[in-house]
Amino acid sequence: MSTTTPAPYVLWIDDPAANGNRQLGGKFGSLAEMTAAGFAVPPGFGITTSAYRHFLESAGLAERAREVRAAARGADLARVQAISAEFSAVIEAAALPADLEAAIRVGYAELERRTGQADLPVAVRSSGESEDLAGASFAGQYDTFLWIRGAEDLLRHVRRCWAGMFGAAVLTYRPDSDPDAVLADHGICVGVQQMVEARAAGVMFTLDPVSGDRSKVVVEGCWGLGEGVVSGGITPSRYVVDKVTFEVVRRDVVRQEEQYSVDPATAAVGLVPVPVERCDVACLDDVQIDALAKLAKRIEQHRGAPQDIEWAVSEAGDVHVLQVRPETVWSARAAAPLVTEKKSAVNHVLARFAGVGVAQGRGRTS
Amino acid sequence: MTLTSSSPSTDSVSEPRPAPAADAPAQAVPGKRFASPFAVQTPDGAEGWESMYPYYALLSDERREFEDGKFWFFDGMHNPEPLYPFDTIMTENWWVAASQMSTRVWPVPPAGGIDHRIINGYLYISPNAVTDPEAVAQRAEEFAVRAGHYYENWDEIYEQWVAKATDCIERLKAIRFAPLPEMEPVESVLEHRGTYSTYELLTTYGELINNLFEMGSYHFEMLNLGYGAYLTFREFCQAAFPGITDQTIASMVSGIDILLFRPDDEVRGLARLAVELGLADLVLGNEDPDATLAAISAHPNGAQWTAAFEEAKDPWFWFSTGAGYTHSDRAWIDDLRLPFSALRGYVQALLAGEEIRRPLDEIMAERVRVTAEYRDYLPTEEDRESFDGLVELARQVFPFVENHNFYVEHWHHSLFWSKVRELGDVFVAHGFLDDREDLFYLHRNEVYSALYDLNIGWATGTEARGVTYWRPEVERRKRIREVLKANPPLPALGVPPEFITEPLTVMLWGITQESVQEWLGTEDQDPNELRGVAASAGRVTGRARVIIDPEQLHEVEDGDILVCRITAPSWAPVFSRLSAAVSDVGGIMAHTAIVCREYGLPAVVGTGFATTTIRTGQLIEVDGDTGVVRVLEDASA
Repeated sequence: MSTTTPAPYVLWIDDPAANGNRQLGGKFGSLAEMTAAGFAVPPGFGITTSAYRHFLESAGLAERAREVRAAARGADLARVQAISAEFSAVIEAAALPADLEAAIRVGYAELERRTGQADLPVAVRSSGESEDLAGASFAGQYDTFLWIRGAEDLLRHVRRCWAGMFGAAVLTYRPDSDPDAVLADHGICVGVQQMVEARAAGVMFTLDPVSGDRSKVVVEGCWGLGEGVVSGGITPSRYVVDKVTFEVVRRDVVRQEEQYSVDPATAAVGLVPVPVERCDVACLDDVQIDALAKLAKRIEQHRGAPQDIEWAVSEAGDVHVLQVRPETVWSARAAAPLVTEKKSAVNHVLARFAGVGVAQGRGRTS
Repeated sequence: MTLTSSSPSTDSVSEPRPAPAADAPAQAVPGKRFASPFAVQTPDGAEGWESMYPYYALLSDERREFEDGKFWFFDGMHNPEPLYPFDTIMTENWWVAASQMSTRVWPVPPAGGIDHRIINGYLYISPNAVTDPEAVAQRAEEFAVRAGHYYENWDEIYEQWVAKATDCIERLKAIRFAPLPEMEPVESVLEHRGTYSTYELLTTYGELINNLFEMGSYHFEMLNLGYGAYLTFREFCQAAFPGITDQTIASMVSGIDILLFRPDDEVRGLARLAVELGLADLVLGNEDPDATLAAISAHPNGAQWTAAFEEAKDPWFWFSTGAGYTHSDRAWIDDLRLPFSALRGYVQALLAGEEIRRPLDEIMAERVRVTAEYRDYLPTEEDRESFDGLVELARQVFPFVENHNFYVEHWHHSLFWSKVRELGDVFVAHGFLDDREDLFYLHRNEVYSALYDLNIGWATGTEARGVTYWRPEVERRKRIREVLKANPPLPALGVPPEFITEPLTVMLWGITQESVQEWLGTEDQDPNELRGVAASAGRVTGRARVIIDPEQLHEVEDGDILVCRITAPSWAPVFSRLSAAVSDVGGIMAHTAIVCREYGLPAVVGTGFATTTIRTGQLIEVDGDTGVVRVLEDASA
């Protein structure tokens, strides 16, 4: 790809140039697209893939990165872990080029100005070029750092995200479709976004992930930040919503005793007790479930295919989109017909009277 | 002992019980079986109730093994109260008319007829199934030819059906009963008629009864097939979109111009006209319909409104306040208080600047949107083709399914009861009865005998036997019926079947595997929770108002949750005051479910025990999404 202007090191997700820009990687690119489409995405900027490459070049690490990947290919796990740890330490200790560091500091200061909050807590997330593409889900293999405050801490975690490109999990990732995936020189963007202090958060799917039924939105959520739902550490409550009528057709509310939140004692995100009065209460009320399901439907319509969406509801009750990616399981599967045998409507009815059902059920959603 | 809804076997006893006699009727076993119908005791004071009903409707020792082994459920949907002897004409009609369709006319491959028994005055019914695979296959061949013909020619046959039903109603209208004259009119003699008033009275009575059975036969001519087509579409939707609600499925095929909405629409029109003509004050000024009508007549603009009112009344006020199966379900035309209460509501709304028109365009646009979206969400083109065909067929049969109610249960039945009352006047005139209403305490075959008795008295000049015979007998039956009415029936008796697939049972009565399990109960059941069919979405908490008799409807206050055996569409005027509705009986296609949904009230139907469990004034929660009703707290009183 050739460009006439030099690629920016910092790109705001609400910049007109951000929408569809590969420099933001998959995750942040999607959020730029969501922002452009008017969805409620917390404000932020991406430290682009160009910035990452600029860093490796100016720190003299680009060639070494290629060697590390080559060495990891086919090596046993212990060896990969050793290579990973060594190179990660090098990256985390390397100096940033002055122009890049200045750009990041300016970006953070601008975010503080926009939100009117000094030392604004931000979420710092990796957004890889190769992740979040339909059919190639790298979900969960890159890093996320929450509640990062101040430019110094931000810079440290940006380097940690870059180092994450050489984490053991990434270096050993070998999808069936491409055994040499590890060799590819994928870039990475680091997203910096205002933290939503979530009252409740989670994920939702614009189809039933269990049955493939596209007429449903399945919302999974818990009290506090959504990290517990995403990582699987907290069993979420689950709501199945009809995507046509927005009736809640099923609720499984789970008692929750711990939640991910900012621990005031450590000023870091961790597991804290759920306030007693909330333990047995659904983390979402009907108005919020309705808003989420309608949001999911709009996002799916906007993107033209089923999606997975990470969301958060603030203490004030506002719904935010934290991440959007194409659903990969059912979208990749050849659709099987439900009708047991093709026949006219009258013949279906006659058969039904004789005890032959018209269609194979998808089974109950669970 | 009296019949109650608690099962005797769960009573805890400290004294060891004597072993039951070998032939003692089976008691209910939670989770397994209901009490034997033979275990039902006659309440004190109701001894001899059997004499009010025909022998073939009663349990008998000779058929004990058969009757004890069957599953019987209480048909509270059509007959919430102990049957009046005359009113068994309705239940006896469909005992034959509905059953013969499944058994002999189509025949429906796996379904037989539906058996009836009257127990303590209450109607219990029991669907028969055909289980032999060979017999099912044979019936399927015959069924395909016959039912196929109806489906292929549905619109034309429905048109013929409307013509037949309308003609039947016209002939019913023409029936007249009058007391026998002191002297036969001279024309009978001069015209050499050869038959006289006695013969006419008997044959006219025969016409009346035959007219009911004629309409009763039309009633079921297309009903099973209509339900079957809808049920197939419903099952397809449930397989494709697990969890889709019944009201959503119905909304894809339901019509917007169905006749059941027409009476209410007429009242809306009359309200608009009253406002336009400057008669609003007269409508609002008096709660007595006759006084209102008189005041309007006296007004200079009154003639136009009165003409419109008379026009609307026939046929649209032949609209039953109940299911139409008993004479006590009075029609609007008999008791104008209900439509006039609605009229006042609409006039007030108009004066407040509100829109009272039903938003037909919006409802239609929503139906199109909903159907198109579900279609899009189907996995394959093949499924979309099947969906298109099934939704089209369901929409084709639905006008009959929805409209037959107005022709049969409302228009015809209401008119029929009014004719029976005319005959009641004949018996009053001849000194047999004190009140025309007392005639309903005679079975229709007893009425034939009583007519003959009356003819004998008239012919001979001797006082008829009935003059001294029927008054005390009616008094005795009234007392018995009052006792029976005070003893609500158990929802089910006998042994539940393994599978329930008969389409009418599922769709009309809401009897499913789940509801039977619910009635059977479990050891750890929450006594404050009732489960039923989620009939209309939404969740509401409010005060319960238990209504057993339509006469009590005026007790309803704003925000009440109606708890009843079954809601009737003509209760429409009170719906605007309710926050939710709960019924003992009914499925998704119960006569009233469509109208309940139209009013957008959360509703749970088919709970089995709501009217016997919940008391007026209790705070209850109705969840129309899940079909659960909870008693939250007792009345503060």
